[in-house]
Amino acid sequence: MNLFFTMHIQVGMIIHKLFNSNKLVLLLFIFPLILSAEANPDAGKVTFKNYCASCHAKDMKSALTGPALANAEEYWADYPREDLYNWIRNSQAMISAGHPRAVELWNEYKPTVMTAFPNLTDEDIESILLYINGVATGTYGTPKVDPAAAGAVEVEKKSSNYIYYILFALLAFLSLILSRVINNLNKINAARDGIPYEGKTMMQTLTSKGFVTFLLFGLIILGGYATANKAVDLGRQQGYAPEQPIKFSHETHAGINKIDCQYCHDSARRSKHSGIPAANTCMNCHTAIKNGSEYGTAELSKIYASVGYDPSTGKYIEGYDEMEVDTIERLFKKWIGDQYLVEKGIDVLDNAGEELVDAQWKGIVSSLTNEQKSDFRGPIEWIRIHNLPDHAYFNHAQHVTVGKLECQQCHGKVEEMEVLEQHSPLSMGWCINCHRETEVQFADNEYYKSYQKYHDELASGDRDKVTVEDIGGLECQKCHY
Amino acid sequence: MDKNHIWIGSQDLEMTEEFVQQSQQEFQTNPGTEIAEGALELEGGRRDFLKMLGFGLGAATIAAGCDTPVKRAIPYVVKPEEIIPGVATYYASCYSQGGNAEAVVVKTREGRPIHIEGNAMANGTTGLSPRAQASVLSLYNTNRIQAPLKSVGDGYEALNWAGFDNEVLSILKGSRNIRVVTNSIASPSARKTLAAFKAKYPNTEIFTYDPVSYGGMLEANTNSFGSAIIPRYHFDKADMIVSFDADFLGSWLGGGFATDYAKGRKVDPAHPKMSKHVQVEAHMSLTGSNADNRVLVRPSEQGAAIAYLANEIVGGISGPKLNQKAQKALKKVASDLKSAGSKALVVSGSNNTYEQLLVNEINNALGAYGNTISLSGVCTSFSGDERNIDTLISELPGNGIDTVIFYDCNPAYDFAGGNKLADAVSKAKNRIALAYTPNETTALCNYIAPINHYLESWGDAEKYEGETMIVQPTIGRLFNTRQLEESIMVWSGAAAPGSVDFMHDKLQGQLKDGAFASQDKFYSFASYWNAAVHDGMLKGGSSSYSFSGSSLAGIGDKVSKPSNAELEIKFFETIHMGNGNASENPWLMEMPDPVARTSWGNYLAVPVNFDGVRTMVGLNGLEDGDMVEITIGDQSFTVPVIQQFGQMPGTVALALGYGRKNASPLGKGIGVNVNTCLTTDKGRTQYYNTKVSLGRKLRKEEHFSCVQYHHTFGVKGTDAATGETINADEAATVFVTYGAVQQGYQGSLTERSIVYNSHINDLDASIADLEKRRANAQYLNDKTLYPYDEYVADKYSQGHHWGMHVDLNACIGCGACTVACMSENNVPIVGKREVSRHHEMTWLRIDRYYYGDVENPNTVYQPMMCQHCDNAPCENVCPVNATNHSSEGLNQMTYNRCVGTRYCANNCPYKVRRFNWLDYTTADIFPANQIDVVEGLDKPFYADNLTRMVLNPDVTVRARGVIEKCSFCVQRLQAGKLEAKIEGRRLKDSDVTTACESACPTGAITFGDFNNKGGDLDKKLQSPLNYIALEEVNVKSSVTYTMKVNNRDETLDA
Repeated sequence: MNLFFTMHIQVGMIIHKLFNSNKLVLLLFIFPLILSAEANPDAGKVTFKNYCASCHAKDMKSALTGPALANAEEYWADYPREDLYNWIRNSQAMISAGHPRAVELWNEYKPTVMTAFPNLTDEDIESILLYINGVATGTYGTPKVDPAAAGAVEVEKKSSNYIYYILFALLAFLSLILSRVINNLNKINAARDGIPYEGKTMMQTLTSKGFVTFLLFGLIILGGYATANKAVDLGRQQGYAPEQPIKFSHETHAGINKIDCQYCHDSARRSKHSGIPAANTCMNCHTAIKNGSEYGTAELSKIYASVGYDPSTGKYIEGYDEMEVDTIERLFKKWIGDQYLVEKGIDVLDNAGEELVDAQWKGIVSSLTNEQKSDFRGPIEWIRIHNLPDHAYFNHAQHVTVGKLECQQCHGKVEEMEVLEQHSPLSMGWCINCHRETEVQFADNEYYKSYQKYHDELASGDRDKVTVEDIGGLECQKCHY
Repeated sequence: MDKNHIWIGSQDLEMTEEFVQQSQQEFQTNPGTEIAEGALELEGGRRDFLKMLGFGLGAATIAAGCDTPVKRAIPYVVKPEEIIPGVATYYASCYSQGGNAEAVVVKTREGRPIHIEGNAMANGTTGLSPRAQASVLSLYNTNRIQAPLKSVGDGYEALNWAGFDNEVLSILKGSRNIRVVTNSIASPSARKTLAAFKAKYPNTEIFTYDPVSYGGMLEANTNSFGSAIIPRYHFDKADMIVSFDADFLGSWLGGGFATDYAKGRKVDPAHPKMSKHVQVEAHMSLTGSNADNRVLVRPSEQGAAIAYLANEIVGGISGPKLNQKAQKALKKVASDLKSAGSKALVVSGSNNTYEQLLVNEINNALGAYGNTISLSGVCTSFSGDERNIDTLISELPGNGIDTVIFYDCNPAYDFAGGNKLADAVSKAKNRIALAYTPNETTALCNYIAPINHYLESWGDAEKYEGETMIVQPTIGRLFNTRQLEESIMVWSGAAAPGSVDFMHDKLQGQLKDGAFASQDKFYSFASYWNAAVHDGMLKGGSSSYSFSGSSLAGIGDKVSKPSNAELEIKFFETIHMGNGNASENPWLMEMPDPVARTSWGNYLAVPVNFDGVRTMVGLNGLEDGDMVEITIGDQSFTVPVIQQFGQMPGTVALALGYGRKNASPLGKGIGVNVNTCLTTDKGRTQYYNTKVSLGRKLRKEEHFSCVQYHHTFGVKGTDAATGETINADEAATVFVTYGAVQQGYQGSLTERSIVYNSHINDLDASIADLEKRRANAQYLNDKTLYPYDEYVADKYSQGHHWGMHVDLNACIGCGACTVACMSENNVPIVGKREVSRHHEMTWLRIDRYYYGDVENPNTVYQPMMCQHCDNAPCENVCPVNATNHSSEGLNQMTYNRCVGTRYCANNCPYKVRRFNWLDYTTADIFPANQIDVVEGLDKPFYADNLTRMVLNPDVTVRARGVIEKCSFCVQRLQAGKLEAKIEGRRLKDSDVTTACESACPTGAITFGDFNNKGGDLDKKLQSPLNYIALEEVNVKSSVTYTMKVNNRDETLDA
């Protein structure tokens, strides 16, 4: 698999060298085989997020600490490709060497120094550039489907619907014919008996008892079905992704920076709750990282305002709870303003800067307060996403530590979620199904030695696995007490 | 009479038709009438119905369309290292009340104390008294004083502490004489703070008294041992125990003797030996009910009885005349004591100095000192002397006493001369109370300093010398209160106000200079301190005392004189209410008195008289639940009556601790206060009164809240047609005649096996008999159409199979387990009215049965909880499968499935299922179904957020309309299993304990896994004394009981 993967990257590189990179999109249509791998921009994305995203905006179009990257290749088009590689690997060296483009950039952005990345290979850099172009042109991230396959699916879908429509039309047609036949037969009968026959009008048929009953019956069935379905869904909120007081990105933390889930959710291994990390857990890192890769000071300052940390001095504020709000406001506005000045490389706050500072301060206050909490100081009140009913007992430790489940099994690919959402339905049926299928970690836990019969059966081959259900995992009082 | 014949009360003995009728019914009254008034009174016709239907549908549709309400998840700002949300944290602390102190372990969840157990590291047992168990609920008492108060006009004004302290300090500085009134204080540090206060204000006197006084005993011991100490009793070492009205299994000296006592009472059939216990008393006390023999003497005859025994053993004492029967019995007791020698132990609950002196002489003559009684590591925490308060009352008017401070005590209520004190205190210009809740004494005061709960405080306590227990806070202060000691020290100028950890620092200081310096186990003080706080107890050295005899000349005239009155009344403390300071605690209010089984009020215990044939007649023809007028001294009360087997003829009894006047509605006006009826002899409070007369029977009590006849099973009745004695539910069964023999089905026709008993000397025969009866039950069970054993051949062959063992010889009936069960499982309290309608929700009840002599019987206590039958009759009848069986042998109850048909409760042979008739927990959305536990609360008891903090978050709070019952504490089983799984090891029986098991001070309950061979449970199951209740009905119960064994001496009854 890995071999296959790298092979495609290499093939992609070769092709890329033959053609211009931003023509690759065309190439994708020519070589559907290569398309299925889509290796380059994905690898580029990872590298970008790891190394570049802390200074360069993710949309590639706006400037952050570093310039927007959308047109980087264009700017460097006049120089050999190697120059661009070298610039990315070690910009200061090129500035010292007096490369015209390098000096031009330095003059624009000094004193901000771009970090050197000597470990990046040419391939890595190409991948990044591929990703940058993809994002800039909007081609990256949109679903690409095999046109042929997609067409087939579409047809199939349509055809299945068509069958129903055709069937319905056929039946309607048949019943029409039948009613005509009956009508005519009645007419013939009437004529034979010499009785004047008056056929039923359409109106009479539609208002007949039989038809109305049939209609009502149908409505009740439909209504009942819909009601029952809706009722089952009551209180379930799969896909629930509320806006949180702080735009915390699991994608940035768990995905790009690869922080272990249990670094923050440290209760999961030993408690029923996974635990929403306390603000002091955030501060473990964010005393050092004070400027967010995506939102700059806007979101991170909220943590500081919650715990009473002065990012300018790097110290916790004494007597924060008793402090005047005005003092705190000045303190944080200064910090936000200072960061803006550094970023822009200017000395005095401009209008845009003033607005930004005001907006960010208002954002801090509004997101850290709510109807019940009037002071922005104190705990951050997150919106709870995974809500189990009170009569259901769930224990994270049992599943994480004993069952050795991956968090993602229930929570989905959290590391790809910019805004966290509820991945699973958290319905009883969903729990039960998993308990039916999941094997117990029987082998290496002394506790399960008490299930001697199962061990014997496993040894003798009479049984191929022991599921949670087998040890009573479907019983009421495993979760309800 | 059949040896195994047991009865629960006179109705049962008499087998009246009404009783038979009633015992056949699952529910006492027609369920249709059980709904709260007004709940079903819907007015309107068809059109209204359609309107409501339409509205309902519309509302439901809109509700379905709306988003789920936003719930917030609020983490800590800085998470304390030791707290993991969702995991309980345990802290060692100490519950202390007056001179009593019990080391406890407090279970907290997310910082909230929710459950209390005994500290096994300090006590050797996780058992605890019911009052200590329930103390966690007092923390969340909504009636607490929440800020310092100063009386203004008719009301109070809340001050801040600085302002309050200023006013108090200026009062103290300007006072010519200050008096501090307090109960015994078990905390050495607190005693030191009072000493410092006295040093600062030299014109201060500190007066200590105890509501139930040990003054006489302390005075006698001062004579005998040279110091006002109480020796340490070892009931486990005694072969012969004689107690003169000392309720040592109940409240005597704060209790704590049950663990030792039970050691001598458990029976090993291989080596049959048990202690002999004779109780000399008039009223059937908890201790008396556990005794082998009770020698009946009137309350006023106690002195005569002690003098008689002393004369028999020590000689040369001529006391007042004792009744003939008691004389004869005590003569035999004396010879038994003498043959037990140093293995004998005599205690007395008397508050007469000379009687206690005689008891000391008896113990000395028997050689008990140094054997069953030690004179080192003695109890030094009691120092109350009621004569102090008499002094105060006499010196108050016109002696220049301008300030009286009440140090966490309530003499206006619980002191015998409380009324006199109240009058006298009003003469003092300044009255300052340090109090937890408003009470009768704070009502007299113009300054009230609110104090912390012990779960909010640092402190120490020392009941026995050399065993210092540390009081550790488990929660921050809920209100603007301040620790007792801190207030005193601030007023002494020895501490700055507002230092939260004041006692913490003080304790550390004391230990550093004291105990730490004189030990060599720990090098650094920090580790020494941490170990002390963790263990909850510091062991240190203690002094030794020795007995020296006193002059006994003329002592016979100084003991209390028997009265010739026709009727005497005995006043006693019950194990749950004590002296009444916990009367705002509804867990204790609703807990039935173990002996009388009455709750929510004190009931007048009247003796019953057996006509020798069938009828039991209460004194003056009084029956259970009659209201009667009683005149004690110059006061009259109207009290409800309970017939009490074993109550001495010519005596009645009434409990202390009720009838509070100034308390929250949960305690106010419930029962009557008889503290005012106590008498005085030689300055000592006497807990009986000989000036008592019963008036006429008035009416039936409106809400007769005795649980005695609730949820009975297997009782006998009389066949109305033939007059024959049959089982009560026999009428509902079908007779089929096989040949000449009439037989029936379903085991209900057999003699029911509920309790077996035996004399220790008949053990072999009893075991043989038991085996026969169990074999017979097995034979009947084999006749089933459903081959159970084949059917479940493999079901419990692996994994866990939970079971329980209850040793009836260890169970003393104290009820600690029932309170622990309520605390652990969020079992609601329901109030007096609901209890009277058989609606109490207790998952675990302690059935009390009598056997033997009808007028002076022996008692068996049988804890009865869901038996988790493996062939459960409740499961088969549930139409919605809400109750079913787990692979671990648990009878599971799923509340969300339950639709409330109550078929299961009807079909349960043990009557342990409880139905939520009304919305006891306020979990419903319809207020019409809520109840008022008592009248006068602002909102239903469980609706208050403060009260709800005591709920166990791992256990569902049940709504109206569902059945609930004992779950074997399944949440604890799951937690125990998980711990073993995480640690990757096999489960031990000790990993899983039920709340009742750990609350039991005598180790009567053992829980475990049948499949764990060699485990704790398995060991207990080996005894031939074991039996299964109602084994013949083939329900395969998972709970095993032991035969009750007594050591009764029949010759004492003659």
